[in-house]
This record gives sequence, structure tokens and C-alpha cells, in this order.
Amino acid sequence: MEKPLFDVVGIAVEIGQALLALALAPALVGFIRWMKARMQNRRGAPVWQPYAELRKLFGKDILVSQNASWVFHVAPYVVFGSTVVVSLIVPILVTPLPFNAVADLFAVVYLLLLGTVFLALAGLDPGSAFGGMGSSREMTIAAISEPAIALAILSLALAAGSTNLGEIAARTIARPSSALSPGHILAFVALFIVMLAETGRLPVDNPATHLELTMIHEAMILEYSGPYLALVEWASWLKLLVFLMLAGNLFVPWGLATSLAPAALAIAFATTVAKLVVLAAAVAVLETRVAKLRLFRVPELLAVSFVLGLLAVASSFSVR
Amino acid sequence: MQGVFAQVAVLGSSGVLLCGIILLWRRGVAAYITAFAWQSTVLAALTAAVGYFGADPQLYVVAALLFGIKAVAMPRLLRRVARRFAAGREPDPYVNTATSLVVSGLLVLLAYAAARPLEAIADVPTRAGMPLAMGLMFVSLFVIISRKMAITQVIGFLMLENAIALLAVLGTYGVPLIVELGVFLDALMGFLVMQIFLYDIHDTFSTVDVDVLTRLKH
Repeated sequence: MEKPLFDVVGIAVEIGQALLALALAPALVGFIRWMKARMQNRRGAPVWQPYAELRKLFGKDILVSQNASWVFHVAPYVVFGSTVVVSLIVPILVTPLPFNAVADLFAVVYLLLLGTVFLALAGLDPGSAFGGMGSSREMTIAAISEPAIALAILSLALAAGSTNLGEIAARTIARPSSALSPGHILAFVALFIVMLAETGRLPVDNPATHLELTMIHEAMILEYSGPYLALVEWASWLKLLVFLMLAGNLFVPWGLATSLAPAALAIAFATTVAKLVVLAAAVAVLETRVAKLRLFRVPELLAVSFVLGLLAVASSFSVR
Repeated sequence: MQGVFAQVAVLGSSGVLLCGIILLWRRGVAAYITAFAWQSTVLAALTAAVGYFGADPQLYVVAALLFGIKAVAMPRLLRRVARRFAAGREPDPYVNTATSLVVSGLLVLLAYAAARPLEAIADVPTRAGMPLAMGLMFVSLFVIISRKMAITQVIGFLMLENAIALLAVLGTYGVPLIVELGVFLDALMGFLVMQIFLYDIHDTFSTVDVDVLTRLKH
């Protein structure tokens, strides 16, 4: 098939897909919150509440601590920018896209980590006690979730023979039976646990509270206000969406369009939303069922993920 | 068909192994017993699956016995023992949780290395699950040596038993029924003897923490 290097339609779809991710991220978080509220016998805010929050925050002034340096001003843009770049290369609707050449799993994970590092720096920058505490915790968790992520990636990459996202998805579409292989399932669970840690969801961090002794993400962004806070929050929602999309489209890639035909795109959109709803519901159920772990038990949870990843790697070696 | 069989075998064995690893992650005795019950259920299902794919109706009987004895009867007995000792939570084990999880991962890798010759000579489609069964053996031995409560060690022993049964099912599609019956009887007897021992330890030392047994009693 003849294909030019830079096809305009492809790039348009690519950017459209990133915009779609940006637009859907608040709704995703709103849905999780709404569903959690429903399961806890509360009425809950409507699903579109996060959009209103964003609008409110963008309309406010920025209040900056006297002690803050340029890092504090740069961090929201870095966090937001790196997450948007990731949503450009993750397969959300179509799999072989113009940017697929750089759509590497390692690139995705470490771009997201770049945002985390800048957020931690920004937490330290104004010199408030809570910010420093949050940054220290965030870095601890990031450091111990690193080996677990690397192993989960390795097991996926071993099965597909490549760390390229498009390649992995294409392999699984080509061989449906491999989606049920133990390596695949173990890697999925491993990545899901790491995702909970990386996006600050419940067994690791409680996204719903500002309780000073337990918060991690909220402690880091405590000094932010107005549009900066909006950017940081939006980025963290987008990060959750990207992780769910990775889980959904790498492990269960059916429905993902392999061409730019409008019908295929429509199907891809429908299945993407369906996958997001299912995964978000899973997160909401999990967050209702489990209590937050003590900070010192978090390494144990990540060790579980590490062992699962190790088993996944071992079994993908043996099954071949 | 063979491909599906091999995948079911590996999937089932991974499930059995994971239930064993839960022992290292959770702390409560109730969770251990639940994990053991699930492990036995998965093992019974896998045995039935091997019976179906390997066309060996005897294995259905074995699967039914496995389910009845190990997934229903033994957990019930274990729960009674746990209630009687009021054994709620495991005291700090000799090896902490995160380390034991990593150790268990390494043990499974070791099992892969150790089972390589075994896999090479076996030509059954289930052979890919054999390293996992061996891994479970190592992991349950590790549970027995690294945990302090006698009841946890008993559960570890029962999981070791499950691992051997799993290896037999995967390697040879199960041993003859009569031998299997003997093994069940043995396991049950062993369990009853251990239960009496547990009661005795508890009566004498008023605890089932084996760490205390090293001290002199007067």
C-alpha cells in the first residue's frame, strides 16, 4: 500500500484524537466520582461537574507564594504539555497513525514520569511543609513503581516482539487467542495496579480528600490556584484517561480502527467510550470496596505488581 | 484444540500459583483459608479440564473429590481451628512482606530453571504449567519456613500438597485413581494429626506462635 510520510488526514485525526482525549478526561473523572457516590448511597455531583470546575478555575486569578521560583510557574505547563504529547501517541481511536514511529511504551511511561517529577519539584518549590511531604511521598512511590512498570512493559513487549504501541495492538488483533494467554492477563493486572499508584487512585492515594496525613497528590498541588490549578488537575485527569486507554487498547484492542474510513472511526469511538466506561466502573467499584493502604504497605502492593510482572515475563517465555 | 488445552493448563496453573502467593501478601488467617479454598477450587476445575481434554473420565472423580475434601471440608475444619485459637492476624513474619513477595518471584524463576529438563522430556500439551506447579512447591515451602503461626504453616503444607497434585495432573494426567485415593486419605490424616498437634501446642503454651516454642517452659 502506497502511503505518504506525512498524510494530512492522518495528522488531523491524530490531533482530533488528542482533543477528544482532552475533552473526555473531565467527563471520565466526573463519571467515576458520580458512580462512587451512587455506590456509597450519595446522590453525587453530575458527570459534567469537572467541566464547571475547570471553567471556574480558569476564570480566577493566580496567587503565588513569595518564595516560589520559576519552577513553580513552569511546572503546570510541563505537566500539561507532557500529558498532551502522550495522548497524541497513545492509540485511542486508530492504531497506525503518523506519529506511531515514536509511540513507544517506554516513551509514554517516561513522558508521564516527567510530569510527575516537575509536579514534585513544584511541590517542594514554595517551601511549604505539606508540599514537601507530598513530593517526598510521590517520589517514593514513583521510585518503587518503576521496576513494576518496566516489567509489565517487558512482558507485553516480549509477547508482541516490539515496544511500539501500534505494533502491540496490531499483534493482539491478529492473534485473538493471545489475549487470553496467562502472560497477557498477568501483565494486565500488574499494569492496572501500577496505574492505580501512578494516577493516585484509592489503595495508594485518596483523590477525594484533603486529609493532611494521607494525601499525596493533593499535598503537592496545595499551593496552586486559578488557571495553574486547572492545568494541573486537567493533566492528572488526562493521565488517568491515558492509562485506562493503554490498558483498554493494548490488552483488548478490538474495535480500534485500522483505517481512516469514517465507519471504522465511528465504531472505534463507540468502543473507546464503552471501554472507558467499563474500566472507570471497575475503578469506582474498587475504590468503594477497598480502604486506603497505610503508606508503609504501598511497597507491598507494588511488590505484588512486580511479582505478577515477573510471572508474566516468565510465562511469555515458556509459552512460545 | 491442543493450543487451547495448553493455554487452559497454563492459565489454571497460574491461578493456583497466585492463590499460593496471596498467602505472602495478606495477613489474616481468614484470608489464608479463603485463598486455600480458592486454590483447591481452581485445582479441581483444572483437573476436570485435563480430564475433558485428555479424555480420561477418572479425572472427573478426582476433581469432585478434590473439590469436596480440599475446597469445602478442609477450609471448614481450618476455620473451626482458627476460631478456637482466636488466631486472627499473623504476627510479624521472619521475612517482611515486600521481601517475601520478591523472593517468591525469584523462587518461581528458579522453578522455571529447575523444570527445564522436565519440560524437555515431557511431550504432553500441559507441560508449560509444570514450572508453575514446581514454583508453588517452592513458594509453599517458603511459607512454611518464613511464617510464625503454626496454623499458617499447616496451610502452607496443604498448599504444598496441592502443588504436588497439580504437578501429577499436568505431568501424567493424574496417577491411577487408587493411588489418588490413598494420597487424599494421607493428606486428610496428616491434617488431622497436625490439628491434634496444634491443639496440644495451644494447650501447653497457650499460643500457636512457634517462635515461643524455642523458649523453655517451666
